[in-house]
Amino acid sequence: MTAATAMQPATTVPDGTDLVEWYYEQGYSDGLPVAPPTPAKLEAMLAALGGDPQRVEARVPPRWGALTREVLAINMVMAGCRPEYAPVVRAAMLALCEPAFNLNGVQATTHMAAPLLVVNGPVAREIGMNAGCNAFGSGNRANATIGRAIRLVLLNVGGGWPGDLDKSTLGHPGKYTYAVAENEALGLLAPYHVEKGFRAEDSTVFVMAAEPPHSVTNHVADDPQGILDSICSAMSTFAHNNAVSSGHCAVVLGPEHAATIARHGWKRHDVKSYLWMNSGNAFRDIAFDHRYGKVYNRNLPVWYRREPDARIPIVPGPDNIHLFVIGGEAGRFSAFIPGWGHMSSPVLREIEREGAGGPRRDGGGPRCVDGTCYL
Amino acid sequence: MKNGSHDPGRRMAVYDPRGVAGAEARAIAPRIERLDGLRLGILDNTKWNANKLLRELRDQLAAGHPFAATNYYRKESFSRFADAALVERIRAENDVVVTAIGD
Repeated sequence: MTAATAMQPATTVPDGTDLVEWYYEQGYSDGLPVAPPTPAKLEAMLAALGGDPQRVEARVPPRWGALTREVLAINMVMAGCRPEYAPVVRAAMLALCEPAFNLNGVQATTHMAAPLLVVNGPVAREIGMNAGCNAFGSGNRANATIGRAIRLVLLNVGGGWPGDLDKSTLGHPGKYTYAVAENEALGLLAPYHVEKGFRAEDSTVFVMAAEPPHSVTNHVADDPQGILDSICSAMSTFAHNNAVSSGHCAVVLGPEHAATIARHGWKRHDVKSYLWMNSGNAFRDIAFDHRYGKVYNRNLPVWYRREPDARIPIVPGPDNIHLFVIGGEAGRFSAFIPGWGHMSSPVLREIEREGAGGPRRDGGGPRCVDGTCYL
Repeated sequence: MKNGSHDPGRRMAVYDPRGVAGAEARAIAPRIERLDGLRLGILDNTKWNANKLLRELRDQLAAGHPFAATNYYRKESFSRFADAALVERIRAENDVVVTAIGD
């Protein structure tokens, strides 16, 4: 008997039952039809997860349901995943359930945040993730169903049902699926995970509680400063959550913009530092000039000067800007992705795969400090 | 839409994607009959308006009841669990505790 055969159906229904409708009726769907699990598909998915169906990988808040491998396999099959996506989805769920991420808060908040996944390394190419044209959009099975599997787990196991344990006022479309890969193939900047001390041949998943991407258009500039000034403009509003809640954000350079920046010899750290130094709000703006009472804002770092014309950074430092190159080769567009705030820390986690052994991190070096390499 | 060739005697497996949520039943604390002479704790979760709401509440309660002590505490983050050491301190230093979101 293989481990997979230990998986037990919840029940049985008469042959010929419309299973898509059955799963809807149970309330197990994200709103779209699910792929009804079959014993064969579950067995393959469980094997890809490493067998051992009753092993608890995590408890998913706010319901704190036990995410066994069996339950993960069921949700992945329902989402339409192929078995080769299993290491990515598993690593992403483990990242989301690390205490620093505060999934409990992310799930329950009235804010619209959804977990954003960015995959780095060879696994993204091997399973066919889309890091190119329309990467954040529709049309790619791996992106669509990896993100959807995460959402189904957050709903079914985590109990994040709208109006019940998910109190989001508005939500956003990324709550269906929000999974992409970095476009490393173009080789324009060092990959994100290499900046964080992983080897290029390692595979990682990055998760961040995120607002939707905000498009940044710049068809004019032929130097880094001009392109990055447009991104600074998108960052420098007091409408998004970073402005008043600090934390982390992401910036996505489209390949045309990244190529211009790289051609001028700018590295990742130059880009992040420029963005940090040249974005921000005046304290008077986020305090509404104290029109509604004296504002201190305890959600911003204590070291910010609370004076009317003091610059309030969007995030506390350049390393709180998570930089990626994503998208198709044509088009002078980038994107700013605000985060939720200091209440959740992004998590970068290795995707464990067979045959990908060896030491994972370089352990620092002349350009690496505290796990961050200034590449 | 049904499969036209199905066998009415056969059954199909269906699966529950929810996982087990272990819950431990706990009794709520006995209801306080009188506030006078007790130690009142206030836990501010640091949301935007929590301090305004809770200070006003504290002052109104204190105006009507002679508390043995009123103590004010802050969570590190409104969205994260209160630190275990803080919870222990609140438990040791108070008889009743009030908290609120104040969004």
